[in-house]
Amino acid sequence: MSNRTFSVLGLFDSAQQLMDAIPPVKARVPGRLEAYTPYPIHGIDGALGLRKSPVGGMVFVMGLLGAISTLAFELWTEGIDYPMMTGGKPIFSWQAFVPVMFEVMVLFACFTSGLGMLFLLNRLPFFRHPMLRSKSMPLITRDKFALAVEADGLELDVDACTAALRAAGAHSIEVLEQPAPPGPVSPNFLMRVAAGVGISCLLAGYLTYWGVKVFPIAMPMTHMLDQPRLDPQSADSFFKDGFGMRMPVTGTVARGQLPYTIKNQDDAAVLGNPLPRSASVLKQGRQAFMTYCFVCHGVLGDGTPSLTAAYGAKPANLMSEKFRNYPDGMIYHVIMMGKNAMPSYAAELSEDERWAVVNYVRVLQRAMNAKDSDIPKETSK
Amino acid sequence: MNGDKTKKILAGAMAAGLAGVVTTGFVAGWQRFWVNWIFWFLFILTIGLGALFIVALEHVVGAKWSVPLRRVPERLSGLVLLMGLAAIVALLALPVIYPWTNPASLSDPVIAGKAGWLNVRFFAIRVLICVGLWFLSYRILVSGSIQQDESKDPKFNVRARRFAPVFMVIFGITITVVAFDWISSLEPAWYSDVFGVYVFAGTFLAGLAATTLAVLYLQARGRLRGVTPDHIYNLGGFLFAFSVFWAYIGFAQYLLMWYANMPEEVFWYKERLQGMWGPLVLALAIFHFFVPFFMLIPRDAKTGHTRLFWVAMLMLVAHGLDLYWMIFPVLGKGPVFSWPELSFGLFFIGAGLLWMRHAMSRSADMPVGDPFLREGLEFRL
Repeated sequence: MSNRTFSVLGLFDSAQQLMDAIPPVKARVPGRLEAYTPYPIHGIDGALGLRKSPVGGMVFVMGLLGAISTLAFELWTEGIDYPMMTGGKPIFSWQAFVPVMFEVMVLFACFTSGLGMLFLLNRLPFFRHPMLRSKSMPLITRDKFALAVEADGLELDVDACTAALRAAGAHSIEVLEQPAPPGPVSPNFLMRVAAGVGISCLLAGYLTYWGVKVFPIAMPMTHMLDQPRLDPQSADSFFKDGFGMRMPVTGTVARGQLPYTIKNQDDAAVLGNPLPRSASVLKQGRQAFMTYCFVCHGVLGDGTPSLTAAYGAKPANLMSEKFRNYPDGMIYHVIMMGKNAMPSYAAELSEDERWAVVNYVRVLQRAMNAKDSDIPKETSK
Repeated sequence: MNGDKTKKILAGAMAAGLAGVVTTGFVAGWQRFWVNWIFWFLFILTIGLGALFIVALEHVVGAKWSVPLRRVPERLSGLVLLMGLAAIVALLALPVIYPWTNPASLSDPVIAGKAGWLNVRFFAIRVLICVGLWFLSYRILVSGSIQQDESKDPKFNVRARRFAPVFMVIFGITITVVAFDWISSLEPAWYSDVFGVYVFAGTFLAGLAATTLAVLYLQARGRLRGVTPDHIYNLGGFLFAFSVFWAYIGFAQYLLMWYANMPEEVFWYKERLQGMWGPLVLALAIFHFFVPFFMLIPRDAKTGHTRLFWVAMLMLVAHGLDLYWMIFPVLGKGPVFSWPELSFGLFFIGAGLLWMRHAMSRSADMPVGDPFLREGLEFRL
């Protein structure tokens, strides 16, 4: 009749009837044969003469491509662009590259098989497929088996097809028309718009990257970096002498920054402890001691924590007689200036904290060398 | 039929091998003798265990397609009984090549820590328990199936289906014991948790390859009528999948040890990568993974007799290479392959083939009494 025909459909009652009908129909009419069945039928692809699916080859190529490109990327990042030694291994450690190669290969292969099957080969979404409007479709999804002769670009002789299908045992025939030409907002149009937007986004991102990194036409927001300010330890033309940092004004002292002029530990013996031995001071002292001092001197101040033993250091045993006889000022001096391997803790501990630590050390010394007379009377009874 | 002639050739080869085996002990030394014994007995044992695993796998998952092929792995699993004897003989190897039997080795704290597991008495008990469990499993799964040829009693299928999951547990434990005891404890200071899985992967592949070879052999002689390329395809698919599994596990074990680089772990690899062992490992990767992988990718390759035959043959040789690489470095030399290895090979392979000939005369080629045989023969992809 006309090339308006999409396909001629014949319905069969069983899978066996359908299989038996394929060879005679194939012999009598040209055109592509297609079967629609409620469930997959073994051997039907061979009987219909379908071409071998190219999915396997696509997956193979893309998987290989994924593996090779990942290997190249890893070699480039790890070995050329930013060579970095990791765990004492050589720069080009192929062993470390294998898991990523494997994962990307699987990713490429999966995406290729899934998306390639849906979009490239099956041309989905195909909402206007004539089969979806056919009267036979509800039957096919239930218990009927359909054999279709599809025009596939050729002109279909509907009468010959009907006769061939009838002769092969089809009990009802349906002729399907070509789908109407799509309207302006077809699914294909929407797909193209979506693809266009996606590609534009990629392009915009890429251009922004190049614009910023390679041709710095428009810098990203750097207001905080660019503001006028004095940087520490660097030259600046703001002051006459060209230094960015200032000396303290002569004759002044910054808050909490009392000058310390004693050079010799013995001279520090004259320093008086300004803090009372009150509960709050001792609490502050313990806090500081348990933050900085105990790491080497031990929780009890006896110089035997596990850490120092592991490194072979011998910190002072603060509980020994020598340190018990030190005046407060000499202990303060060591915290301030350091001694032997011990560095100065002036930067870590404030003036008050240093004296509080001295008080706490005194308490430890007293507790570690307790006498019978220290036990309260009520308890000793 | 020139069955007697083949039998005579096999018996002659075995006798010649036996002469070489005895000479090895007196001329090349008992160390070489027992290393060879362990290697060849494990090679044949893993084929048998892999085949028994395939039999049990069918019962566990209730597979129908493999029913027509089942008699082949059933016959192959008879090798486990023969090699059970070889395992008991191999107990004599303990003082010769297993360093932990030497009391001086206990000075190493690692080996001393394993003394509870690695001592001769417990080792022998484990071997006896393993052999006993295999014998029991063989009785239930294989002997029952052969009896069913006559009795046609479907009760066997129920019994096998109940026992098969139990066998999976038995198999999992005993294959790990085989891996740890016979192979891993050659280097008693070494440890790797995944080693049992690695040996399992090789074992399953060996069983599959031997099954495939035997099926193709029988088909070429016009037996196993009714087995179609669809059945063969599944064997090819299994070979393909598990060569990847083997590579995955083998590489995972290597990667972790390479990363951590702990002296107590990497020495095992160091011994097995130095000198001529390096090219051998490369050959192992190529012939155990890359070549079978790429050869089996096309769909037709999994059904094509010639190609599948060579791939299965290659898998079996590569499995031997794998065991060789794990066991022979304990001799403390580079790879050796000379008349002792050849005569041991003649002896063990000759014994195995004679045993298989005997098994072939005892039962039909297919489980003719199995009620699912018909369904299995009708299997199409």
